[in-house]
Amino acid sequence: MTSLAARYFDGQSSRVHDVDVELHEGNTLRLRGAGFERDEPLENLSVSPRLARICRTIELADGARLLLDDHPLIDQWFPLCNPLQLWVDRLERHAHAVAASILVCLLSAAWLFFWGVPWMSDRIAEQMPEQVETRLGEEVLAQLDRFAGLAPSTLDTERQSGLLARFATLKAGMPGAEDHRLLFRNAAGIGPNALALPGGTVVITDQLVSLVSDDREIDAVLAHELGHQQQHHALRQTLRSSFVIVIAAMFAGDVSSASAVVVAVPTFLLQGHYSREFESEADAFALRTLAEKGTSPAWFAQAMRTLEAYVSEQDESGDSPGYLSSHPQTRERIEEAEFAGEKFAIEHPELYRERPDYDACAEDGLCEEAELDEEIDCEVEDCEIDTSGLEQDTDTEAPVDPQPR
Amino acid sequence: MTESDDFSLPLAAPPPPPPPVPHWPARAQPKPLVEHEFEFSGRGNEYFRIWIVNLALTILSLGIFSAWAKVRTERYFYGNTKLAGVPFEYLAKPLPILLGRIIAVGLFSAYVLAGQFSIALQLGLALLVAVLAPWLLVRGLMFRARYSSWRGLSFRFVPDYGESYIRFLVLFLPLLASFGLLYPWVKGKQKEFIVEHHRYGTQVFRFLANPGQFYPPYLIAWSVIFAWMFGGGMLLGFGMAMISAGNDSPPPEWIIWAFVVAIYAGYFVVLAFLAAAIANLIYNNTEVGGRRFQSRLKGGKLLWIYSSNTVLILVSAGLLIPWAMVRLARYRAECLSLLARDDFNDIAVRQGQGIDAIAAEVDGLFDIDIGL
Repeated sequence: MTSLAARYFDGQSSRVHDVDVELHEGNTLRLRGAGFERDEPLENLSVSPRLARICRTIELADGARLLLDDHPLIDQWFPLCNPLQLWVDRLERHAHAVAASILVCLLSAAWLFFWGVPWMSDRIAEQMPEQVETRLGEEVLAQLDRFAGLAPSTLDTERQSGLLARFATLKAGMPGAEDHRLLFRNAAGIGPNALALPGGTVVITDQLVSLVSDDREIDAVLAHELGHQQQHHALRQTLRSSFVIVIAAMFAGDVSSASAVVVAVPTFLLQGHYSREFESEADAFALRTLAEKGTSPAWFAQAMRTLEAYVSEQDESGDSPGYLSSHPQTRERIEEAEFAGEKFAIEHPELYRERPDYDACAEDGLCEEAELDEEIDCEVEDCEIDTSGLEQDTDTEAPVDPQPR
Repeated sequence: MTESDDFSLPLAAPPPPPPPVPHWPARAQPKPLVEHEFEFSGRGNEYFRIWIVNLALTILSLGIFSAWAKVRTERYFYGNTKLAGVPFEYLAKPLPILLGRIIAVGLFSAYVLAGQFSIALQLGLALLVAVLAPWLLVRGLMFRARYSSWRGLSFRFVPDYGESYIRFLVLFLPLLASFGLLYPWVKGKQKEFIVEHHRYGTQVFRFLANPGQFYPPYLIAWSVIFAWMFGGGMLLGFGMAMISAGNDSPPPEWIIWAFVVAIYAGYFVVLAFLAAAIANLIYNNTEVGGRRFQSRLKGGKLLWIYSSNTVLILVSAGLLIPWAMVRLARYRAECLSLLARDDFNDIAVRQGQGIDAIAAEVDGLFDIDIGL
């Protein structure tokens, strides 16, 4: 039988002894070097598991060790050592096993982030006491007031109570919506916007109120925010973000020198994904609610166009790519709303006055009395034509409501 | 030997070296100083197989296998790092590591959950960990040193909990009181503590630098960051003024993003150079039994490795992490050598005691900076 060259350390000093190692009589390891000899029965020895090309170590009972290059003979000498690690080592050397591992890892990651994290967060959100959510909302509002430049509203009381009444009508009959409240804020820095804070508070900016030309657009926006409220989106989003950060941080802990970017970028993209999902849910909720309350869902499309026009006016070069936006493509959202509007028109022909394209003069012969209204309608239509031209392939983050943090 | 944060080099500081000298070399007159280089022979594609299979097994076993995965990873990096032709060995067993991980995960989950219910509870737990940190740090260093071996001898970390509490907890008071200005000095004191309590056999590690020597790299880094942010801020203000000069609209969003990206990039650059400078400072002032280390890390090269690694990891959805780790380990080893007059053959053992893995793992998860 062949012998292997090895380095022997006695465990008492760092001295190297070059030795030859071979199996003697099937049960003894024989070490021979210049002026050195030692025999050890195999059962007194243990061997380090095979790993890539690194040196193997045979440990002797008295702390001495043999260091030798990896060789198939070693595993013949110690056939029963470390069955688990032997198996893992085979997997690591097997191309199919490696391919399967890649698949397992990628699928698990996808499962975790698209299903596991949302599921966990939603279970926790369900368990969370209402007071916690409410307190969280108060905290967020206080921070917005302090740091985001939200100021007391400049709308007059009459206008405010009008809108409050519309809000009350919208939420009437929604389960658990009794405590939802609407707040007005003047926010020059943020512009036309509405926010759903955790715990039932909806904030609408003066800028949004004065931007729209018909209160039914505000209804559409508020219905969307109520959708966020009814489904606790703000809280769920907060929980999801926390989970993503925790998981990413644990994973990055193993990556060592990989920098924070490695964690930050995917986290950012994932959060965008989650919030797009919530936006779609809130949209669907808003379209349903509007139809139930006898207002055409097409008003939602109308509100979107108004906001879109505003944004594109503000930001001529508004070319934020769709996948970075926290909202689904504005165009898709408008189409959804238009479709719901058509369905509404068919199901409720008697409510034709509630449609945005209602023409009082042509359909009801109210030309003279309604002159003022008609003008407004025309203006809106002008806007519509303008924007569709401008916005051909521009996705705007319609500021309906970035999720508050 | 690579698992640690940006600033750290192998915790189990490599020890003395000799070439694979044959049997009993002649004990003779003063020998010339010989430079023994560290070499790292790991390969990205090889480590990838180990990494991905171990990750998959960890997932499939719901985390249980992670202890075995850790041992295999450490063994791969230790075993591929050679000094004077002899590889290092990582000797820890998976089971104690598994136990440590279970406790660490339990603590961490408690921390996260506590945050959902009561901030006070969470703060309490954080405080507890902070108070335990110096103790955990020492335990972690003891564990790692105990299971790091070269030429058949293990390293040791001699515990001194009192000193650990002073340097890792008490010194934070003057640090806060000085608004962070004492940070380099505190950092120096901490590194000194870690280096000087390591042993290899009978050989004692010594730290020759004065903690004050940590000031120049940090002062340069701080000044550059400050200048960079100040300049960037001026440019931002100027740019916004220019753009919105003609109209009343708020400035476009991209300009803010560009600002953030530029600041972050500047931070990244400074960090790479700082990491190189600090690692060089520490190694070049570390002595073990009269043998000196020599570290020649270059900030520019390190920056290139960090930034290209980051891009590779991002575009590959993480699959290139093993290549990134191997590249970094190779560069670090390339830049490190040990100057010695002897052949390392006459270092004797001094037995240390076995140390449980729990402290090491709790440390790792809470990511306390324990880099040498």
